[in-house]
Amino acid sequence: MRVVIAEDNVLLSAGLELLLGTKGIDVAAIVTDAEGLMEAVERHRPDAVIADVRLPPTFRDEGIRAALAIRQAHRGLPVLVLSQYVEKVYARELLSDGSGGVGYLLKDRVSRVGEFVDDLRRVADGGTVMDPEVIAQLMAGGNAVDALTNREREVLALMAQGLGNTEIGKRLFVTDNAVHKHVGNIFSKLGLPPSDGGHRRVLAVLTFLDSAR
Amino acid sequence: MRERWDQVWRGGRYLLIGLPTALAAMLVVPLLAVGALSTGLGGVGLVVFPRMVASLRLWAEWQRRRAAALLGVTITPRNATLAKGVRAQWRQLLDDRENRRDLRWVLQHIVIGLAAGLGALCCVSFPVGGLVAATSWWLFPVDEPMTVLLGVPVTEWGTALGLGAVQVALGGALAWWAMPSLARWEARVSLAALEPSAEDQLAERVGELTESRAGVLDAHGAELRRIERDLHDGTQARLVAIAMRLGVAREALPDDDSGTLARLLREAHEGTEVAMTELRDVIRTMYPPILADRGLEGALASLAAGSAVPAELDLGELGRLPAAVEAAAYFIVAETLTNAAKHSGATRATVRMSRHDGRLIVEVTDDGIGGADESRGTGLVGIRRRAAALDGTVLVSSPLGGPTAITVGLPCAS
Repeated sequence: MRVVIAEDNVLLSAGLELLLGTKGIDVAAIVTDAEGLMEAVERHRPDAVIADVRLPPTFRDEGIRAALAIRQAHRGLPVLVLSQYVEKVYARELLSDGSGGVGYLLKDRVSRVGEFVDDLRRVADGGTVMDPEVIAQLMAGGNAVDALTNREREVLALMAQGLGNTEIGKRLFVTDNAVHKHVGNIFSKLGLPPSDGGHRRVLAVLTFLDSAR
Repeated sequence: MRERWDQVWRGGRYLLIGLPTALAAMLVVPLLAVGALSTGLGGVGLVVFPRMVASLRLWAEWQRRRAAALLGVTITPRNATLAKGVRAQWRQLLDDRENRRDLRWVLQHIVIGLAAGLGALCCVSFPVGGLVAATSWWLFPVDEPMTVLLGVPVTEWGTALGLGAVQVALGGALAWWAMPSLARWEARVSLAALEPSAEDQLAERVGELTESRAGVLDAHGAELRRIERDLHDGTQARLVAIAMRLGVAREALPDDDSGTLARLLREAHEGTEVAMTELRDVIRTMYPPILADRGLEGALASLAAGSAVPAELDLGELGRLPAAVEAAAYFIVAETLTNAAKHSGATRATVRMSRHDGRLIVEVTDDGIGGADESRGTGLVGIRRRAAALDGTVLVSSPLGGPTAITVGLPCAS
C-alpha cells in the first residue's frame, strides 16, 4: 500500500513514516500543505491519504477542506484525517458525501501501531473509521440513539469505528449471527433501507452523526 | 521678605489677568445663546455649538492650570479634545457632565473674578496713585486738583510729598498684606468650582478601569490563542511523536514478552497516552480549538449541530470579539444546551447573540418545563462564574411550566 502524508510538523511526519515503514506501508510523499497534497496525489496516485487537520497557511481546518476537495477530484480516494482534537462537525463534513473510505482519528491513536494500521487499511478498503472520542461525544449528546438498546448502541459505536460484524462479535463476546441481528435492528430504527451493501454502514454512521440531537 | 514679594507679585499678576477674563465671561452666556440659535441658520449651530463648548473647556482648563500653579497643587487634566464628526461631537457634548461645571464656573467667575480682580486693581492703583500725586500733582488743573488719601486735594509740594508718601506706604502695605491671600482665595474658589466631585472622580475612575480591563481582556485573549497554538504545535506534537516511537518500540518486542523492558515500555506508552488526554482536556476547557479553527460562529454551529435538543442559531453582527469573551460565550451556550437536554425536556432551543453598546448579549431559550434550580447541579453556577469573571450579568427566567430563558451580558471592548 502506498500513501501520501500531509503534515507540516516534521517530528510527526517523520514518526509516521517510520511507523508505517515497520508495517510495510510505502510513503510515496510527505507534503506540508493542501496545495502540495493535491499535486502529490496527482503525481503518485496513492491508495490512501493521511492528512493533518491544521495545515498552512492559516492552520485552521485546511486538512478537512483538502480531504473533501481530494475526494471530489479523485472519486472517493480514501482519506484518513488526523487531529489533536476531534469535533463532531468535522466528522460529519468528512462523511457528508455518503461514500466510504473516510477515517477521522485522534493523533494519539497512531501510537497503537497495530490498531492504527488496521484502521488505515480499513479506510483504504472503503470503510469508515471514527475515533472512539467522536462516538463518545455523540453518545453523550444523543437523543436519536435513545431508541436503541444498550447493546445496539455498543454495536453502532463499534461499527462507526470501522469494525466488521465478526470483529464486533469478538469484542462483545457474541455470535456473528447476534451481531447481524443487532445491525439489522439499528438500520431499521435509524430508518435506513433494508438493502445490503457497505454503504449502508456508512449511512448508519452518518445518520448517527446527523441525528445525534 | 523676598519670598513675600514674590507672592505679592504672582498674586497680583494672577488676579489682574483674571480681571479681563471675568469681564469676558459676561459674554459667554449670550454667545452660547447666539450659537444655539444659529441652528436656525441652515444648521450652523449644530457645527458651531459643540466647538463653543469645547472652547469653554479649554478656557476653564487654562484657568485651572493657572490656579493650580498659584496654589502649588497638581490637577488631573480633563478631556479637552473634540471628537471627530458632528454626531460624535454632540454625543460627547451631551454625555460630558463636566460641561455644566464649566458653565457654573463661568457664572461664578463673573462675580468672584471681577471682585477679586478689582480688589487687586485697588491694591495696585492706590500706591501708584500716591506716586503720581507726589510727583505730578502740578500737571492737573487748579480747579480740578489731584486728590490723595481718598479726597485730600493736592495743591503744593508739601502735601504732595507728605501725603503722597503716606498713600504709597498705605497702598503698598495693603497689597503686601492682602494680595497673596486674595489671590489664593480666588484660586481656591475657582479650582473648587472646576474640580470634579468625588462622585464624578469615581465615575471617571470606573471608566478608566473599564477601559484598562478591556485592554487586559484583549491581551489575555491573545495569550489564550497563543498558548493553545503553542501547545498544539509544540507539547502536543512532541507527546505524539514520543508515543509513536514508544508504540513502534513495543511492536518490535514479541507480544508475549513479559520482561522488565516490555513492562517499562508499556507503562511509558500508557503514561504518554494519559498525558495526551489530559492535555487535550486542559486545552479544551481553556480555549476550545474549534474556536481557533472556525471562529465563534463556526464553533456555535458545531455546538448547535451536536446539541441533543434541536437548536437554532440567530447571530447578529458580532464583529471582532476578545478571545476570552468568545470562549466564555461558547462555554455558556454549551452549558445551557447541555442543561436544556438534561433537565428541561425541551424539544427545541434558540441561541441568540447580538452586540449592543459594547456588550455581547447571549440569550438561550428553550420550550421545556422550566423551573431551573440553581441549587441543583452546577450548570447555572458555572455559567454565573464564567460571566462574573468578565464582569458580565446573568439573568435566568424559568417559571414552572417553562419556558426557560437565560440571558448573559458580557462586556466587550467596542
